[in-house]
Amino acid sequence: MNWLTSYLNLAGAYIKINTKSLLAYRGAFISQMVAMFINDFVWIAFWCLFFTRFPVVKGWGVNDVITLWAIAASGFGLAHMVMGNALMLPGIIMKGELDSWLLYPRAVLPHLLLGRSSASSWGDALFGIVVYAVFVKPDLPHFCLFLALICSVAVLFVGFSVFTGSLAFFMGSADSVSTQLRIAMITFSTYPSPIFQGFVKILLFTLIPAMFVSHLPVSALRHMSMTEALYSFAGALAVLIAGVIMFYTGLGRYESGNLMEMRG
Amino acid sequence: MENAVSVNQLVKNFVLKKRDGLRWSSTQVKAVDGITLAIPKGQSVAFIGPNGAGKSTTIKMLTGILHPTSGDATVLGCIPWKERTRLARRIGVVFGQRSQLWYHLPPRDTFELLSKIYEIKRDLFESRRDMLIERFQLGEFLDTPVRKLSLGQRMRAEVACSLLHGPQVIFLDEPTIGLDVIARQELRDLVREWNQENGVTVFLTSHDAGDIQHVAKRVIVINHGRVVLDDKVSRVRRQYLREKVLSVKYADTPESITLEGVKTLKESGHAFKFEVDTLAVSIERVMTEIMRIGTVVDITIEDPPLEEIIAHIYSAPRVDAGEEEPEEEESEEGAT
Amino acid sequence: MSKYFYIALTSIRSKLAYFREIGSKTIFLFVVLYIFLCLWRVTFAETNQTTLGGLSLKQMLWYLVVTESIIMSLPPIATLVDQDVRTGTLAMQLVRPMSYPLNMLASTSGERVLSFVINFIVGSIIALMFVGPLDLQFQGFVMFLLLLPLSFALDFTIYFLIGLAAFWLEDTTGLTLIYSRMTMILGGMLIPLELFPEGWQQVLRILPFSAIVYGPARIFVTGDLSLFLSILAQQFVAILLFTFVICIVYNTALKRVFSHGG
Repeated sequence: MNWLTSYLNLAGAYIKINTKSLLAYRGAFISQMVAMFINDFVWIAFWCLFFTRFPVVKGWGVNDVITLWAIAASGFGLAHMVMGNALMLPGIIMKGELDSWLLYPRAVLPHLLLGRSSASSWGDALFGIVVYAVFVKPDLPHFCLFLALICSVAVLFVGFSVFTGSLAFFMGSADSVSTQLRIAMITFSTYPSPIFQGFVKILLFTLIPAMFVSHLPVSALRHMSMTEALYSFAGALAVLIAGVIMFYTGLGRYESGNLMEMRG
Repeated sequence: MENAVSVNQLVKNFVLKKRDGLRWSSTQVKAVDGITLAIPKGQSVAFIGPNGAGKSTTIKMLTGILHPTSGDATVLGCIPWKERTRLARRIGVVFGQRSQLWYHLPPRDTFELLSKIYEIKRDLFESRRDMLIERFQLGEFLDTPVRKLSLGQRMRAEVACSLLHGPQVIFLDEPTIGLDVIARQELRDLVREWNQENGVTVFLTSHDAGDIQHVAKRVIVINHGRVVLDDKVSRVRRQYLREKVLSVKYADTPESITLEGVKTLKESGHAFKFEVDTLAVSIERVMTEIMRIGTVVDITIEDPPLEEIIAHIYSAPRVDAGEEEPEEEESEEGAT
Repeated sequence: MSKYFYIALTSIRSKLAYFREIGSKTIFLFVVLYIFLCLWRVTFAETNQTTLGGLSLKQMLWYLVVTESIIMSLPPIATLVDQDVRTGTLAMQLVRPMSYPLNMLASTSGERVLSFVINFIVGSIIALMFVGPLDLQFQGFVMFLLLLPLSFALDFTIYFLIGLAAFWLEDTTGLTLIYSRMTMILGGMLIPLELFPEGWQQVLRILPFSAIVYGPARIFVTGDLSLFLSILAQQFVAILLFTFVICIVYNTALKRVFSHGG
């Protein structure tokens, strides 16, 4: 418990300083947020057009897709608003910046992840919540479950980013590989899940765990199903654990100096 | 006296993989090859050597970043790579080329964050911070974003940051790199004061012979992963740092200089470069002579670069120590 | 004219260095095309139709190959012009014996053509795997080849204009973003104009976006002559219009440069 409060305090301190740091360039910060907002909105516009022509796709209506976009965008946004370094992990590992993080009396991974906030993520986070509230017009229980699911999706994205980012411990040019995995993950998690069947569906429950963003949370919200919500959380947790294991296995290699270039 | 740092037969091998077409070949490289040393509490040590000598690797092992291949080390009673976080609360580290200050924010915010990272109690934090602000004269720029500070101000804040949690040992890796003469001297004075008044053990690496002379009492030279020299700074200075280089520019052609211990290294037009052996002749005497033989337009006095000194350590047979006049810091305890 | 051709060639050559990019483009195109294959398959099945908006499933996917290739090949024209305005490079270029806009057109077009070809080849291979070959008509392909350069030229004029806005605006990235997203959605990148609501279609056929994305792609898959003629007309009118605007804006801006010294 002590451990938990101590790390929550640390998270609080980092959120505060990250926000301050972003606000030091208010104009750039706001324009990045707005850019992300517009970008996300184009997709909502696309889906509205699509569903005007084809009102139901495999049981999904326009509200389901908007819910999906809201959850995915807010979850992704929240994840990298608080733990922005999750996206920078390959670079941090390859440029030897891990050293500085190893010098603090804190668990390396959580501390490192908190160290940055991605400005555009704020736009994503805000977009999701606004779009959900304005277009879907949920009642209070739905909105509360929505907020909980955002957290689950955020955990999932952090876990996935850590997992793919930690590939840098094992491969030379992991930067492009992990970026591509991440793009695939984001792309797959922003389309109606019922259109994927067979082998790909299995893939989306495992290696590219997009179903825990698109399928389970949307379904949980539609049916107010706690079971499906719990499955979402379980999936997110599993991905996070896989990411953590991957990171610390890699860190072992780092500490043994196996991937360090020789210097002074 | 108890040792702050003790190292016994520390070895670090790296496996270097190279790709040759499709084939991978790996070679073992000994970065640190059996270093043994002991640093008593409160001592200030300069740790020098050419690039690739194993300095950084040793520091990384002593701070717990890297695990050694073999050998032991303890820092303040902790085995660094096993008790990394426990040790981290008790040591401070400054990398000259890597900042822990938040670039867009004033130093005050970084202090605040560090107090949370190190979990320093509020009143203790405030009193320590205020003391550091006063000692390091941070007051005037405490609320200015770091990006607007001069490099000297930044490094002062940087060192102060690393002292906030009250470490007993500080590792300074090239702290004066890029600083101008005055900022450099200010920083040296601060570190020396902190060492002398607060009893903090200082472990310093630098390329600047001046840093070593002004901050450290003891110098350890390593090369190829081994300790090649471990001695008092005062003695090393007499043996290896006794030469100074004087560059002089005259208004017109001066008379020639004939003084024992002064060698003309270079000469072009009215500009001269002399090497002065300060054991054979005093700088004052040389200066008088230089002024006498012509009208001086410009003059600089420099230490020879560290690389040259290290090369010297290898080439020159050691001058027998002990016959020189005793110096003031003779009475400190044991090297090794 | 040959010097601009040379500039285009050089730009192609330097672009060849980015072969690494092809890998990531392949993955992205693969994912997008696969997803739309799934989406269209489901949609066709549920509506019980063999064509939607006049396109079969196969044509729908090939349509997407062309639109994605056009969108993904976009060089950062506005950013380049913006930087040249701010750093004063534009003013410097004026002393050289070549026109700055034509120079920019040549260098970015070389890049764009190459990038398009790569995207198109990769996309075609993936589409071949997914739905097999399109029964391409020779005449349709020729019409497509005629429309494509004009589509790039039209896109160029608009981005160039946005870049010139740097003379007056503090930041043009917002405008660039908004325009690029409008090209995507209103240009019919993901769904052809025929699937838009009736009222929208009338308007979108007049706006320049559809002449950049929808037009060439639709012609590529259907080879419809009357559509070709109307897209061609749309492109010509739009290019003339924007070139005219560029001339006015450019000359006004240059007067500003010379009276304020940059």
